[in-house]
This record gives sequence, structure tokens and C-alpha cells, in this order.
Amino acid sequence: MNVLPNEEELMVKNAAREFLEAECPPSLARAIEQDERGYSVELWEKMASLGWFGISLPESHGGGGLPVTYLGLILEECGRAIAPVPFHSTATAALAVSRHGSAEQQQSILPRAARGDLIMTWAVQEQDPRLRADAIQCRAEVDGDSLVISGIKHFVDNFSAAELMVTAVRTAAPSDDNAGITLVIVPTNSAGITETRLTTLAKDSQSKLTMDGVRVPLSNVIGEVNQGWPATSDMLDIGTALLCAQITGAARKDAEMAIDYAKNRVAFGRPIAGFQSIQHLCADMIVWTDGAQLLTYEALWKLDSGLPFGVEVSQAKAFTNDKCQATVRSSQQIHGGIGFMMEFDLHLWYRRVTAWTMRLGTSFEHRARVARALLDQPGEVRLGMNLQPVG
Amino acid sequence: MEFAFTPEQEALRSEVRQFIAENVTPEIVAELEDTGIRRRGPKTREMYKGIAERGWIGISWPKEYGGQAGSRIDQYIVEEEFARVGITVGGAGSGAPAILAAGTEEQKQEFLPGIIRGEISFALGFTEPQAGADLAGLQCRAVRDGDEYVINGQKMYTTAAHYATHIYLMARTDPDAPRHRGISIFLIPMDTPGITVRPLWTIQNNPPAPLGTTYGDARTNETFFENVRVPASCMLGEENQGWYVGAMGLNLDRVGASRYLISIQRDEDIVNWVKDNEIEGVAMREDPTMRDRLADMWIEGQVCRLMTLRSMSIVENDGVFTYEGSAEKVFAPEHGVRTTETIAQMLGPYGQLLNGSEDAVEDGVFAHNLMGAFQSGINHGSVQVMRDQVARRGLGMPRV
Ligand SMILES: Cc1cc2nc3c(=O)[nH]c(=O)nc-3n(C[C@H](O)[C@H](O)[C@H](O)COP(=O)(O)OP(=O)(O)OC[C@H]3O[C@@H](n4cnc5c(N)ncnc54)[C@H](O)[C@@H]3O)c2cc1C
Repeated sequence: MNVLPNEEELMVKNAAREFLEAECPPSLARAIEQDERGYSVELWEKMASLGWFGISLPESHGGGGLPVTYLGLILEECGRAIAPVPFHSTATAALAVSRHGSAEQQQSILPRAARGDLIMTWAVQEQDPRLRADAIQCRAEVDGDSLVISGIKHFVDNFSAAELMVTAVRTAAPSDDNAGITLVIVPTNSAGITETRLTTLAKDSQSKLTMDGVRVPLSNVIGEVNQGWPATSDMLDIGTALLCAQITGAARKDAEMAIDYAKNRVAFGRPIAGFQSIQHLCADMIVWTDGAQLLTYEALWKLDSGLPFGVEVSQAKAFTNDKCQATVRSSQQIHGGIGFMMEFDLHLWYRRVTAWTMRLGTSFEHRARVARALLDQPGEVRLGMNLQPVG
Repeated sequence: MEFAFTPEQEALRSEVRQFIAENVTPEIVAELEDTGIRRRGPKTREMYKGIAERGWIGISWPKEYGGQAGSRIDQYIVEEEFARVGITVGGAGSGAPAILAAGTEEQKQEFLPGIIRGEISFALGFTEPQAGADLAGLQCRAVRDGDEYVINGQKMYTTAAHYATHIYLMARTDPDAPRHRGISIFLIPMDTPGITVRPLWTIQNNPPAPLGTTYGDARTNETFFENVRVPASCMLGEENQGWYVGAMGLNLDRVGASRYLISIQRDEDIVNWVKDNEIEGVAMREDPTMRDRLADMWIEGQVCRLMTLRSMSIVENDGVFTYEGSAEKVFAPEHGVRTTETIAQMLGPYGQLLNGSEDAVEDGVFAHNLMGAFQSGINHGSVQVMRDQVARRGLGMPRV
């Protein structure tokens, strides 16, 4: 038991921080908000050359073969730097292929993903955005050796940048055992997809997709037709854990900006950092962010240890949502009027953290899942025990 | 990162749990609930010997003082299991960490094996009527006289002073030095002439709080020193260095098993209670609002757990706290209060029924917690002072 990052983990994290401090100034995130492509090609290519995109993909497919925790640490730094690259969505989809895809799928996708030659995304949520099987209504039918998809996918990250998306569709009526979901790889340039760009608080790239008779070969199905919910749920959990890492990285940076600002901003004849009410708010911001980070690390560690990790992911996301939001809101408070000004950078973090807390599950959804695990199965519970997710 | 305990540590945990199941009898529980005797009850003393024989006290201490030279984490595990049934074994409040760090060879020989055997225990004599959070303002005087010191003054809230064998006393040895540099620590037998202990009754006095209550003590004390003469060899560490010696002990007091349990035990209690109980056929476990709040508490409880493990990881790696111990001491007590108050609103009028009342829930523990939980945010560093430390030590913000 040692919950502190070890030397190798710190090395990777620090290297990521140094690189991003040099290569990813806030002006880049600001510029990309106006950019049609929605990401920085230049930064993406530089990151690719460092091998980050494959860090937790299998070595046999050109990856680094390291635990997902390492990927989480890098994404935490990407969150800190609000790096405008489609890393999170690509990593989430690539890990789904790596954990659940066939040998052929892995062979054709993972080496390219590891090199950074392939941008991907995932598409599960719909107009009912809850992360549960029965919210998936987008229909698909088997037609010969194709799957034909019609329906809506919502809140899809980086669609126009991505070449492939991993999509969950309904191939049979909803049932109690969550059968009837099929997870499938869909090329984003398939005929029959209409994209509508969303305008988000983060001013990043999300889209609503209407699919009308989109045809993909059955060989694109991940696992078996109708049996895709466990893999979908696994993908969502990993995506959520990685998003938590990204949020905590961004929130901590945001808190640090407030602390620095407070040390320099003078009011009533002294730096406002000398006022206890400001100090205590800053202390709380760090305590909250630390809590979110510890929960996230534990979720990632459980994932890497092959233990059930869904409850830990939900714990992390619910806490991260509430407390990182409180952190960036407090940072705005400490900045006074300047934090509201477009030319000042703080809002770049505030808007992203806030938007991200609403993605991949609200606090209520995740707490409902924790409650199911605690209350809907027999036996005495104790903090720190391994809890099996229920639904 | 490694969030799991080793298989050996899990085995140790099971062994301790089994010992508890077999040895913590209703008679011992009755003794523990009697704040007049606690560890000094005959059955408890007997059991304590059994704990010591198994080498479970002071596991991380050097062998020459009766320890096992083992890991802090093992010690944490043992302390946690015993704390869960209301038994303190070594660790927090024992004075031992500071003795290990700053004591002379004679002092280590004199105290540590005795602490392990359960024969020596300390009351903490820090707080005074005019020095609480601002402890460096303490006025209790110790004046050198030949090979002795003569002590005069008053200590407040000296918990356990009525049954401890010794007091771990902070006194001023140089009134002219800057506040923090004129303080020394003394380890003094409670039966030294001139020491008077008077009870201070707490709001848990009547009815007595059930075991497992957060700050369920019915009694603490005020302790008076009138021309108390002690040999100079009672001093721990160097003269006028007491502030720094004391800070070492306190920091370790703020983290660890009993501190953790104070903050989270009711999370587990209420979830397990709600699983098995209904109020007149109404099952809270099915109410969406209650489920949301229970999950919220549980998640915060996990954060308390992880912050405790972080502190343990730092200690085990021989690291130094910058702000982490203080961060834990902000989040955990306030979490304990939030949970306590949430449970009150879950139980409604049943939540106010005290120990022994008709219809009291779990002997009234939740109601008694409402009188005690907030106390954990006051002592051993109030949450305000702890936030100051996070801001100043952790974040480099200026002293006002
Ligand atoms: C049940 C119990 C057991 C105890 N056991 C022991 C014991 O065994 N040995 C021992 O020595 N002491 C013990 N104490 C004492 C305890 O440590 C003190 O109560 C604590 O240090 C606070 O001191 P005080 O009560 O004088 O409050 P004060 O110091 O008067 O504080 C009152 C309030 O002012 C706030 N405050 C103080 N300074 C600041 C500041 N700079 N900024 C903002 N707010 C501030 C505090 O946070 C607190 O909220 C015990 C207390 C209790 C109630």
C-alpha cells in the first residue's frame, strides 16, 4: 500500500508537464476554439512522436504496454494544459478495441492509433443521455454480412477529426439482462451520417449525428451482436476515469492560478492572499482537488489490477463533478472581475472543467450507481472493500 | 501507486479480527463504556496483555524497546481493527512517537516497553484556559532549581488525566524568549505531589454515550500544578525546544487509524443499518433522495480513507508532510459532521433519542454523535488552523 505515484509514474507525468508547458500555451487552446478542425494538428503530431498515444496499448501492436494509469497521468497533464487535441476520445475508443476487439480489428487499428495516425471517437449517448443500456435507441439490423444503422447519436466528441467511431447500437429490444446492444466500429465518412455541430460551453468539438441506413460490415462488430453492453459499459468506465484525470488536472491548474493571483493582487493595503477567508478558500480548493485525484487514481489502479472498478469510477466522477466545479468557481471568485473578461485566460479552464463535469455521467447518475452497489446486494459493507457494480 | 495491502497484511487483519471476535466480551465492552476506568478495568487489562503478547502494539518501534521493527502500515491495520471496537492500542495520543524521536535512551527504556505492556499511558497537557488553538501562548511555568524543575500552572481538557499514569506536559521554561522558543516538554508521573485533577463534565455526561460515539467521553479534566517538583531528567528533548518536539507528536496524532475512524465510522454504520432496517415498514434504502445522500456520504468517506492512506504512505516512505496531514484534518472531521447531520435528517425524530431511551436507534449512537462529531473539528488543530496551515505551508500564502 502506497498511494503516492512511484518514480516511473512521476517521471512520465513530469515529462508530460514539461512538454506541454513548452508546447501548449493557453493561446493555443484559445485559437483552436475558433478553428474549424477543432484540434491542433501540430501539437497532435508532436505528441504522437513522443509515443503517448500508444502508451497503454499492447506492445504487440506498437504500444508501450504500460498500465492505463500512465495514460491517466498524461491525460491529467493534458487537462492541466487544456491541450486542444482529440486524445481522450481516441484513447477511450482505442482501449475498447484493445480490450474487446478481434485480432483483425486490433491489427488494423491499434498500431495506427499508437503511432497517432488514427483519430477516433466513441458514440454511445443519445437524446436521453443517461449511461444505461435502455437509453440506447439507435437501431441496427443485420442484413447479410452488414449491419445497417439508423438513429441518433449525441454529444459525440471530435467527430469531424475522427476517422473511426466506436458506437453502441440497439439490435434487439431492451431486456433486463441488458442484451440487445451491439458495439460496432463505424467509419465517420460512411454514407448516411449527417453531422450537426453543437456549440458547447467548452467551445470544443461535439456533434449530434443522424444516421440513416449507415451500412458497415459485420466484421466491424466488437464481440458478438446483441452482446455488446458489457464492452460498452467497460468503455464508458474507462472513458470516465480518464475524463476524471483530465478534469482534476485542469482544476488543479485553475486553483494554482487563483493562488498566484491572490499573492499579487493588492486590496486594503495588502495582497489578498493575506486574508484568511481567501486562504481558507484556497485550502479547500486544494483539498477538493486532492480528493478527486485520489479517487481517480484508485479507480485507475483497480482497472489495472483486474479488479472490478466501476464503483470506483462512479465515486471518482461524482466527487470530481461537484468538487472540481466548486474549485473553478472559487477561482473565479478570487479573481474578481478580471476572471469574467474574455482576454484573461482563466475562463478557458473554467468553461472546460464545467462542461466536462456534465459529460460521461452526472453526479446523480454516478451516485445512483454507488447506491446500487451499496444497497442492492446483500452483506455488510466497509469503506475500501471491493464492491461489485450493480447495473 | 499501490492501493492494496499485501496478502500478509490482509492475513494480519483477519487475525486481529478473530482475536477481537473471541476476546472482546460483553464484560470488556461494559468496562470500556465506563469512562472512569476504560483501559484500567481488570478484564480489559487482561485482554490488553494478550494484545501485547501477540506483538501488536508498537509494531513499527525498534525491537530494543519492545517493538517489532515492522511497518507503519501493519501497525495501522492493527490500530484500525481495534479502534473499530473502541479500543486504542498505542499510536495516537500515546506520546510514543515523540519519545521515539526525541527521547534519551533512558526515557525510551523507561516508557516504551511500559506503553506496549499497557502499564503506562499519557494524558496530554497542552491546552490551558488562555491557550487553545493558539497554543504557543501557554503560561504554565517550569523553573529550574538545581537538578529539578518546579512547575506551576493549569491545564485544561486533560482527557484521561484521571486514569493515565503520566502526563505529557508542555510548559514555559523561558518567558523572555520568543513564544515558540521558550517551551519545553516534560513526562511526569501523575502521582507526583502537587498535581490535582478535577473533572470537567462534557455534554455527553448523562446518559452515557454508547461505545463507538464520536467524542462520547463523559469526562475530561482540568489539571492543576502547584509547586510540582520533578527531576530534570523528566524533560523530553532539549530545553526550550518543546514546541518542535510537540509538533512532531501532534502531526502523527492528526493522522492514523483512530482519527480516520472518528470521521467515517458512521458512514458504514448508517449504510449497514439502512440495509437491514426499516421504520414502520418504510425502507429508506428504496428512497431515491436517501440513496443519493448515502452515496454522497460514502464517496466522501472514501476520500477520508484515501487521505489517511496518503498520510500513511508519506510516513512509511519517511517523507515529510507539507500540508497533507492538515488537509486530512480539514476534510475528515467536516465530513464526519456532514454525515452526522445528514443521518439526523434521515432518521427524523428517532434520530434524537439518546442511549437508553425507548425506541433509540442503535443505542442512540447517532444522537450522541450529534453532540460529539463537531468536536473533532476543534481539537488537535481546529479546522480553521488546519486551513491556515494548508494555505501557508502548502500553498505559500503569507502569514497575516
Ligand atoms: C473533549 C475534548 C478533549 C480534549 N482533550 C485534550 C487533551 O487531552 N489535551 C489537551 O491538551 N487538550 C485537549 N483538548 C483541548 C483542545 O485541543 C482545544 O479545545 C483546542 O485546541 C481549541 O482550543 P480552545 O478550546 O481554547 O478554543 P480557541 O482556541 O479559543 O478557539 C475558538 C475558535 O477560534 C478559532 N480560532 C482560533 N484561532 C484562529 C485563527 N487564527 N483563525 C481563525 N480562527 C481561529 C478556532 O478554530 C475555534 O473555532 C480537548 C478538548 C475537548 C473538547
